[in-house]
Amino acid sequence: MRTLQNLNFPKAMAELLPKLFGQALEIVLIVSVVAFVLAILFGFLFALGRLSHHKILNGILVVFQEFIRGTPLLVQLVYIYYVFPLFVEIIAYWCGNPTFKCTLSATVAGVIGLTINYGTYISEVIRSAILAIDKGQTEAALALGFSKRQAMFRIVIPQAFRNSIPVFGNYLLTLVKDTSLMAYITAPELLQTTKAYISQTFTTIESYSILAVVYLVICLILSGLLKVAERKLVRRR
Amino acid sequence: MALLEIKNLQKSFGDLKVLKDVNMSIEEGEVLVIIGPSGSGKSTFLRCLNLLETPSGGEILYDGKDILKPKFAVREYRQQVGMCFQRFNLFPFMTVLNNVTYGPIHLLKMPKEQAQAEAMALLEKVGMAAKANVYPDTLSGGQQQRVAIARSLAMHPKMMLFDEPTSALDPELVGEVLCTMKELADDGMTMAVVTHEMTFAEDVADRVIFMDGGVVVEDDTPDEIFSNPKNPRTKAFLSRILDR
Repeated sequence: MRTLQNLNFPKAMAELLPKLFGQALEIVLIVSVVAFVLAILFGFLFALGRLSHHKILNGILVVFQEFIRGTPLLVQLVYIYYVFPLFVEIIAYWCGNPTFKCTLSATVAGVIGLTINYGTYISEVIRSAILAIDKGQTEAALALGFSKRQAMFRIVIPQAFRNSIPVFGNYLLTLVKDTSLMAYITAPELLQTTKAYISQTFTTIESYSILAVVYLVICLILSGLLKVAERKLVRRR
Repeated sequence: MALLEIKNLQKSFGDLKVLKDVNMSIEEGEVLVIIGPSGSGKSTFLRCLNLLETPSGGEILYDGKDILKPKFAVREYRQQVGMCFQRFNLFPFMTVLNNVTYGPIHLLKMPKEQAQAEAMALLEKVGMAAKANVYPDTLSGGQQQRVAIARSLAMHPKMMLFDEPTSALDPELVGEVLCTMKELADDGMTMAVVTHEMTFAEDVADRVIFMDGGVVVEDDTPDEIFSNPKNPRTKAFLSRILDR
């Protein structure tokens, strides 16, 4: 039985931190940034689709949205990583290519899953931000002679985006933490690396404590950066 | 020929008939003031004139062409008919100067330098040149409305519509906006103004229209309307307004 006396934090830190700050951190940061940028893009297009008056498109998007919101992100990641390639292979088989092998790297699967999941939530943020812009803004643009589309893209959307920035920041923070779910699809990110180290050394308490602090530090730094960005970008409402 | 001629104009929102049958015309260079109780349809009428509301029926002839025809070039028409709103609707993420130059640069394809020079001249005219580089939310309502007027004028409109331009202002700020509008009228601008400012109507209007219940009840010179109203509804309205 382990006791508090034989905890060895210095040793665990000396061995684990270099592993975490190598490839593991790199994966977390790259996946976070890429998935976040793509999620905003995805969310933006999704929001425009939802705001369009196209009934069928709207219906499809609503169903899709309920699907994403009604299933856990972990399940979505597992599905994309393990199941999606199988479907592709089945389709390839039907198309007369029985030897076709489809594999997704864990990182790519992670980016796809996080993009779709966060993009879906972010689309609601963008949609409501667009709807919240005063109608008078559109009317003023129309009265000057701009088209509806121009009024939307030049006047309404820039304001909606600015107003959404604080919420985007929140989503970025949760997204960084949710990259840990990629451990379950074998991505060698922070959690996975920590687990591997524990299985060799049995330093459960030390390692998970170190992991928690590493996440905390990443998020504190990020939240500081977000505050600065917000102050610069949200000049005017 | 009248600049704008309105025939049998109707507008319904669902079952609610806001404009029943409006007939009138606006001559070039004329200042027309539209008065009437709230809910009389005067704002809706004004908004129909630049198609912010789509009329349910009737005709609006601009230079003899029906603006309600599907093929009519609405955006070009709107560039020629400026509009000022009750709540100003300046673009809050642009400086005052950029608010004024935005239309000319992007719609009239005016070179930036020229647009800025013209904008500064207009801001000078409405007394806002000193605020060219600030954002609208630092301005008072009266100042914002004057900038909004400059923004509309920057498009070189043939005509200006004013939808209760002073209704959202503190009483002490109303004067500066009315003053700007009066100067505009003196310059010969064609104007249609919905307002509750009866002194403005009396002093500046060439013609006053009294609307009630979605129709034009009385259409006459300000002298006649204010000193000798013929319709009992006009009389009742004016006595309520003026005997405060």
